[in-house]
Amino acid sequence: MSVLQYEDFKPGARAQMEWGFGGRRRWRDGALLMALFLGGIGAGQFVVSTWLIDSTTSALVGLLIVGVGKTVAHLVYLGQPWRFYRLFLRPKTSWVSRGLIFMVVFVMFGAAYLAPDLGFDWVSWTTDSTLGEIIWLAAFASACLVMVYDGFVLASCKSITAWATALMPPLFFTYAVAGGTAMTFLTLIATGAETIEESTLTDIDAILLSAMFALLVIYIVNLLASTATARESLRKLTTTKVAIAFIGLAIIAGLLVPLMLTYYHEHAATGTLATVLLAASAILELSGDLSVRHSILRAGLHAPVFSEGP
Amino acid sequence: MVRWGMVIDLKRCAGCNSCTVTCKAEHHTPPGVFWAKVVRIESGKYPTVIRQALPLLCMHCKEPECEKVCPTGATKRSLEGIVTVDSKACVGCRYCAVACPYGARYFASDWKDYFTGDRKPSSPYAEYSKKKWLEESDKGVVSKCNFCVERVEKGRNPACVDACPCEARTFGDLDDPESEVSQLIKKRRGMQLHPEYGTDASVYYLPAR
Repeated sequence: MSVLQYEDFKPGARAQMEWGFGGRRRWRDGALLMALFLGGIGAGQFVVSTWLIDSTTSALVGLLIVGVGKTVAHLVYLGQPWRFYRLFLRPKTSWVSRGLIFMVVFVMFGAAYLAPDLGFDWVSWTTDSTLGEIIWLAAFASACLVMVYDGFVLASCKSITAWATALMPPLFFTYAVAGGTAMTFLTLIATGAETIEESTLTDIDAILLSAMFALLVIYIVNLLASTATARESLRKLTTTKVAIAFIGLAIIAGLLVPLMLTYYHEHAATGTLATVLLAASAILELSGDLSVRHSILRAGLHAPVFSEGP
Repeated sequence: MVRWGMVIDLKRCAGCNSCTVTCKAEHHTPPGVFWAKVVRIESGKYPTVIRQALPLLCMHCKEPECEKVCPTGATKRSLEGIVTVDSKACVGCRYCAVACPYGARYFASDWKDYFTGDRKPSSPYAEYSKKKWLEESDKGVVSKCNFCVERVEKGRNPACVDACPCEARTFGDLDDPESEVSQLIKKRRGMQLHPEYGTDASVYYLPAR
């Protein structure tokens, strides 16, 4: 009996085998993880780039990550991709429907907001006009919803105690903003932008990294104090193969090292070294973002179907 | 209104897997897909622990989580309380499979032969089986137990009920207080799995002791 099939007949807590790398279709199932990751960092990048930095190029990259990257990843994951339009039909009860509607609204308003700066002069607004501001507000709001909806998707699965917690939406939102900040920084370096607002980005980053660390600690404490299935999820996160992604990549490489680099870069001997340190920190943060989502998906265990108590 | 339900007597179930095999023969489910299955569990506390068989299938909940989360509307609950998946509307996102607390839903990316593991049928029976499976479900979608709706519509019991050699399964109308299922639940304190999720399952279990 294969490991996957064993899970179906397990009397105790069962691992969810549908979402994330290593599922029933192995690597193809990982496309869903990529969709969640790209949706978070893309929307985050748009928000950071338009609100705090004012960089059209970076905002466009964020928009493309969501509009192309996330869309393709979702299509790769689906069993019947040609029926994708049906995913929008049940926003009243399904978070997946809601999330995809947020995504479409974000891409539409995001593209409309950036249009005048991208050479589409024939539109009747500019980014600074009142109409432009209204469009930005709609894009901003929908981007925030794209960042947070995957947390609600996971939190709606009642039998997976490690997911069914109110911590999921803020955790995913914080990681999305941090990923967006990292992507903005990398895009600005890659495009050779002269006025990289380093201090703004590092200040935001330091706050976000601290918030993420605090949220992860609360999440772990919450798992410890919850049901036996949640404690089993925690055991999976800390003592099995998943621990490499969770402790090694998400916490050490994705949180503690970037936090250290963010503080240390001010003392770097040259400006170039400081930029290199910040770029390294941004790349590590992105890998941490992906790893934390992967770990949470893999640690998702269904409560035993027959249980005599907590 | 009828609300179809099932009662499974854990005292009678011997864990022979007749239900698993009959379901496979009835619905031609491919390898790795178990609309009906039997799990071995331990219950009680030392020194009165017993090891027993727990037959599982879709619980056809009154408040199905799978229906709530399905983004396409492919999962539907009929007026008679049978939860089904419209394979022509399902996109294979598997949100329902993740949300179902009972592990009753299966995703099959493709049909595979039982003996060779190939997509090409290895025998005339396998070919027939593939044809029937693709008629009933589809590749790249989620499938699950449908209480043998085609048999129930003809006034028959689901295949697993008729096949059970221990007569551990009883099928009937939960809304009729005089029906055999309602009486069994009342007299032998039938229990639902995971009542805390508020799903109000239509499959009840009679305790083993």
